[in-house]
Amino acid sequence: MDQKQPLVKMENIQKRFGRVKALRGVDFEVYDQEVVGLLGDNGAGKSTLVKILSGVYQPDAGTIYFQGEKIEINSPEEARELGIETVHQDLSLIEKMSVARNFFLGKELTRKIGFLEILDLKKMNHECMIGLKQVGIELRSPTEFVSTLSGGQRQAIAIGRAIYFGAKILILDEPLRNLSIREQRTVLNHIQEARNKGSSVIFITHNVYHVCPVANRIVLLENGEKLGEVKAGELTPEEIAECIATGKMIKANSREERF
Amino acid sequence: MLITPNHQEVVHSPDKVIPSKWTFEELRKIPEFGASVAFLALFIFFALSAPQFFSLRNITSLLTIIAELGIMTVGISFLMIGGEIDLSVSGVYAMAGFVFVTLANIFISPLGSLFAFTVALLVSLLIGFINSRVVLRGGIPSFIATLGMMMFLRGILLGITGGRSISYAGDNLVPTLLTGIMAYRFRPSHFWFIAIVVVFSFILNHTVFGNWVFATGGKKLVAYTMGVNVARVKTICFMISSALAGLSGVIAISRFKLANVSFGQGMELEAIAAAVIGGTLMSGGYGSIIGAALGAGIMGMVRTGLVMAGVPSYWYNAFVGIILIVAAVVNLKLRSTVLGE
Repeated sequence: MDQKQPLVKMENIQKRFGRVKALRGVDFEVYDQEVVGLLGDNGAGKSTLVKILSGVYQPDAGTIYFQGEKIEINSPEEARELGIETVHQDLSLIEKMSVARNFFLGKELTRKIGFLEILDLKKMNHECMIGLKQVGIELRSPTEFVSTLSGGQRQAIAIGRAIYFGAKILILDEPLRNLSIREQRTVLNHIQEARNKGSSVIFITHNVYHVCPVANRIVLLENGEKLGEVKAGELTPEEIAECIATGKMIKANSREERF
Repeated sequence: MLITPNHQEVVHSPDKVIPSKWTFEELRKIPEFGASVAFLALFIFFALSAPQFFSLRNITSLLTIIAELGIMTVGISFLMIGGEIDLSVSGVYAMAGFVFVTLANIFISPLGSLFAFTVALLVSLLIGFINSRVVLRGGIPSFIATLGMMMFLRGILLGITGGRSISYAGDNLVPTLLTGIMAYRFRPSHFWFIAIVVVFSFILNHTVFGNWVFATGGKKLVAYTMGVNVARVKTICFMISSALAGLSGVIAISRFKLANVSFGQGMELEAIAAAVIGGTLMSGGYGSIIGAALGAGIMGMVRTGLVMAGVPSYWYNAFVGIILIVAAVVNLKLRSTVLGE
């Protein structure tokens, strides 16, 4: 995989909020059809890094290459146009809107009546049900308000939406938070399925046991810096957790020398 | 909803998933349900307690009041659904009216009155734009920004006119088109009002922009991360609110032909009350334009109905206050099932 051109390459990304340096020059790549775990303790800079990739924040310094081309992502709108879909932590759905209106938010389906372009609500309702069905989610009604759904259902809808829109890169920020064990398993299945359908997935979490079952590669962040990188199976989850706790890569470096 | 494994494929038809039963449980999901019931109840109440209430003459004069308040209410509801508030609407109402009268008095011709009308609306749009800049760039709550704008506009009017009232001496084209008396004392403003309700209700519920207004008011950050340009949505909402307030002011001044600087004072609170009675949420993201129209209708009915029922007009505010509070509580209860609050 390393010989191939990365789908996205972030180089020396820096971001500060006031006096806080959230990111101090992070390099991060995502290759085609891989699941990358982005792991680190609270405040390590995980969310900031992906928010730069999804256009929510602009970096103070650093470059982003998308499919080899240097780009700037100035807004979430631009990120979505590139095929970067993000499921933000607690920030993916609007409670006071129906499921279908949420599902197509920012990418609404329309039809023309003369010169008027109007929402095709019937098609949106229909497509939303089909789209969610494809990822194994069954809804009572697409016109139901999101506020009536459980946390797990909301998470599933947000992920289902990202998969439906055929994301090149699917960013999931703490996707297993507040989910029951059964729901967690379903979400993990969705992640693998998204990869099988051709997406790359960035999976952000502070829980190593959540990401190990699905990740091809795990990137560790600490204090706004990249601590290191582990390929699937190189270290046990316990060893990775130890790295985060101590802030030192234990075996990965020595193993790399042997390669 | 169930989360089922992938292999269980069931094809849904869109018709099956939309409930079509006319039960109370379904009806209460309509945002303007509460306002409709209240509107009908008050209408019947006044019709029974004051014989002249249900006369064509009264209905049309009622419509005249409702249209002027209602046009403003539609605008402010749109903005409230988008998550902001505009206290300067009554200031805009007065400012647009004064600009219109002043210019029409200078250019006394049919074209001149059209010109004055256009400038008055442009000034209103500009004030809405400035409101949006102050809120979005300055980062202050719209309550404060537009409160300041309201005082500023009133102050300017007072400063320029020195407190003298003005009267309309321009051409009658625009006043006739807006609010000239027609058969059975109907006025064009009644139909403008209905047209505005239909158009803005349609925009809100059936266009991409409307979806973005709900989203922006519902949760700004989510809307933003989903690619909605929330700043632009809010800017347009501020301009709609201001433009409709200005239109309402021009209509009112065209009818009175005379105004002093306290013209429309306190009307912003009536419009907000009407919007809330109509089911619009102060915190944004939920509401209805038809509800706003019904809310304005309720306010207008209470105003004339009370007088006709023999209650001194001084009691008007007390009644509106009670209705507002009751409406807000009832709307909250009605909403609770829909939103699962």
